[in-house]
Amino acid sequence: MDLDALLDCVTSSSCLVTQTTSGLIVGMLLFMVAAGLTLIFGVLKIVNFAHGTFYMLGAYIAYSTFAFTGSYILGVLAGGLGMAIFGVIFERVLISRVYGANVLMQLLICYAVVLICDDLVKIIWGPDFYAMGMPPEFQVPPLFIAGGVVPPFYIMLIVVALVIGGGLGLSLGLTKIGKIIRAAAHNPNMVSALGINTTLLYSLVFAVGGMLAGLAGGLAAPVRSLTPGMGFSILIESFIVTVIGGMGSIGGALIAAVVLGLIRSFGTIGFPLFTEGLMYIAMIIILVTKPSGLFGKEIV
Amino acid sequence: MLQITNLTKRFGGVAATNDVTLNFAANSLTAIIGPNGAGKSTFFNLISGALKPDSGKIVFKNEDITGLDRAAIVRRGIGRAFQVASFFPSMTVAENLQAAIAAHRGQWADLNHRFPRQGVRERALEVAEMLGLQDSADVLSANLSHGDQKLLDIALALALEPSLLLLDEPTAGMGPEERWKMIEKVQRLWQMQNLTLVFIEHDMDIVFGIASSIRVLCYGRVLAEGTPDEIRANPAVIEAYLGTPDAEDDE
Amino acid sequence: MNRIVRDIAIGVLVVAVLAAVPHLIPSKAFQDFVIRCSSMALFATSLNLLVGYTGLSSFGHGLFFGLGTYSFALLMQKTGISLPVAFIATLLITTVTAIAVGAICIRLRLIYFAFVTLAMQMLMHSVIISWVGLTGGDQGLQGGIPRRVVAGIDLGNQYNLYIFAAVVLVIGLLMMRHIVNTSFGTSLRMIRDNETRAAFLGIVVWRVKLTVFVLSAVFASVGGIVMSLFVSGAYPELINWPISGDAIFAIVMGGVGSFLGPTVGTMILLLLNDVVTRQTEYYGLALGIIILAFALGLRRGLLDFITERLGGRPAGGIS
Repeated sequence: MDLDALLDCVTSSSCLVTQTTSGLIVGMLLFMVAAGLTLIFGVLKIVNFAHGTFYMLGAYIAYSTFAFTGSYILGVLAGGLGMAIFGVIFERVLISRVYGANVLMQLLICYAVVLICDDLVKIIWGPDFYAMGMPPEFQVPPLFIAGGVVPPFYIMLIVVALVIGGGLGLSLGLTKIGKIIRAAAHNPNMVSALGINTTLLYSLVFAVGGMLAGLAGGLAAPVRSLTPGMGFSILIESFIVTVIGGMGSIGGALIAAVVLGLIRSFGTIGFPLFTEGLMYIAMIIILVTKPSGLFGKEIV
Repeated sequence: MLQITNLTKRFGGVAATNDVTLNFAANSLTAIIGPNGAGKSTFFNLISGALKPDSGKIVFKNEDITGLDRAAIVRRGIGRAFQVASFFPSMTVAENLQAAIAAHRGQWADLNHRFPRQGVRERALEVAEMLGLQDSADVLSANLSHGDQKLLDIALALALEPSLLLLDEPTAGMGPEERWKMIEKVQRLWQMQNLTLVFIEHDMDIVFGIASSIRVLCYGRVLAEGTPDEIRANPAVIEAYLGTPDAEDDE
Repeated sequence: MNRIVRDIAIGVLVVAVLAAVPHLIPSKAFQDFVIRCSSMALFATSLNLLVGYTGLSSFGHGLFFGLGTYSFALLMQKTGISLPVAFIATLLITTVTAIAVGAICIRLRLIYFAFVTLAMQMLMHSVIISWVGLTGGDQGLQGGIPRRVVAGIDLGNQYNLYIFAAVVLVIGLLMMRHIVNTSFGTSLRMIRDNETRAAFLGIVVWRVKLTVFVLSAVFASVGGIVMSLFVSGAYPELINWPISGDAIFAIVMGGVGSFLGPTVGTMILLLLNDVVTRQTEYYGLALGIIILAFALGLRRGLLDFITERLGGRPAGGIS
């Protein structure tokens, strides 16, 4: 524990700015992964334990596309698109067989997919760490805000994540499909009674969830080292985010993700070995006081 | 037997039970009627401890039971059956009843003896027989017919040897013929078991056919109470309830 | 009564056969397998008291397995108490911890219960990793387990530990078997099937849930003690999330509706582990495909599948 360092940091504007921005990008990436997770849970009542794998595959696809074409934007888009397709295949081939089954059966299927994909990544890309490096368009001097160092890439990342999150929120709120999805989350029987093709709807939800995770992976690729198994830590964290925010609530996920990102970035200074412990404590405290998360509906 | 005084329960701003004062005499067979949303099920939930009232008092056998939890209320002799039959689907009929009897005998936390303990199976078969379930004793309860599942639900409550039995729509989801069979069984139980029985029912022929007294709830309030003849003659009831065409709907 | 005698007789027979095997086939690998299997089967069966019998899906049961390994190893290394005393003290520590954790967790529903139990485990993992002075941090608690001779029997000896593990497993399984066959065990099934109905029959649901939570934690902890003796210490992997994953894997593969399902599942898991890791470096790929074949092919645990095929009624539980 190093409370002096933490105190020094929060009283210095440069450290405060640096840690806040790094906390925010962690939070934004978490939010994108968690938003898909919470969407899938909200509509399908499926806990997608393979969601971290989507993120990992998105990052690798972005990496290879970038290495091949030299375009970072293309890489991110390829990661998102690839995972949208992967999400649909995953839903159709595997998950659709365990709708209504116990959560442990779902867990087992997802666990199998995680194991398989981690090894496939090892076979295709090798077991070593990869660093994609900063794309050339972002190799520019950092900005200095109140004495804190802020790479422009971070700002781009935060803005893009907010735009995507906002777009998701708006399309859920305003478009017809969005209304159907929300109705499905509320009452699945009603939606199928209305003659809406639930098969298509469920695939769509997985496509959106997969795309968000894939985009997050692609966006993260320049600032994260790529390794088989990188999906796991983000999976655990995005679970914490969805649970704290209330499963099924996208707004809740955003708030929880930012909070968790900040706990992470300031925790590393104050409690270097116990940062993860802090996140678990936050989760336990919130669930003890609000058993369905901050914005979750009471499950009866 | 059961005295309820000024009982109120609100959900949000809506009072599902609004200042209800009612008495139920020992050994009566009382029907509770009222249009959909009248607060009948809420009323049962309050008496049986599933919900805590916001205000008011529930006195059972001269003891204040307001705010006690479900298990404590059950132990004092109030049993209930549900609108949707509620039982243990992975167990046979006999096992369901044995489980209820073990619970009633305070053996539910018993870590020493094998289940079922002595005499439990015999008693379970007795209870099954009261409702005519003896031939299905070893049938998996999930595989019973709808009517038999409703009977099993009542049998579970009966296994507790309650002095007050609350039945929430014992005939819900049944055809006319099945309804009468069910209600005859309920009536026989009431006669044989020295019970105080309160039931919620939508079928007016049944209500006026068997109930010794009737309570009418409407929008959470008591609209009328009395004998079937008094209720039939009550203008408020006729206006508010008996005249409406949706009297047959399930809640 | 006859069934208890029968169960005990089967247990004694199993131990006798296991005691004889090394004299016929002297294989160290086999003995290792049985020791690990005993530890994990106790752990998995204890989890199934929650999952299969009570319907409480815990993702963090490894907390108590890991707590068993660490408490026992620490007590043996840092204090002078004898092995049996350390064994009992470990179970007491587990009981107290389980009461505290259970009191927080059992009122949560379904998926929230699952994640908070996992968070509890990972919190303990974080504490162990960061408390380097006491636990050795991510290096684990090295230095072995001293004073292993109990009543003249040296548990440092491979064969003795092997018999010890088998006896502990059999006793543990018999005790859990007894628990599920009592009226309390029936209360568990009532809560799993229909919690509301159980409450309206006079069962104090939270007390039953907390009791079974603590009981299952204690048996998991016994599994942890056996593991601690086997690995001569305690390591963070033994309290990390995959240990809970292994137990879940074992019970779902073996069958949650059959008492011996988790034991069978543990054997499947460890066999897969040993065989597949020897054959290929792509363990995950092979294991993943096998899991999918099992999960989608049988759609239930192996033992549940067999029970149903043999014409029994559905083995209850979940699938």
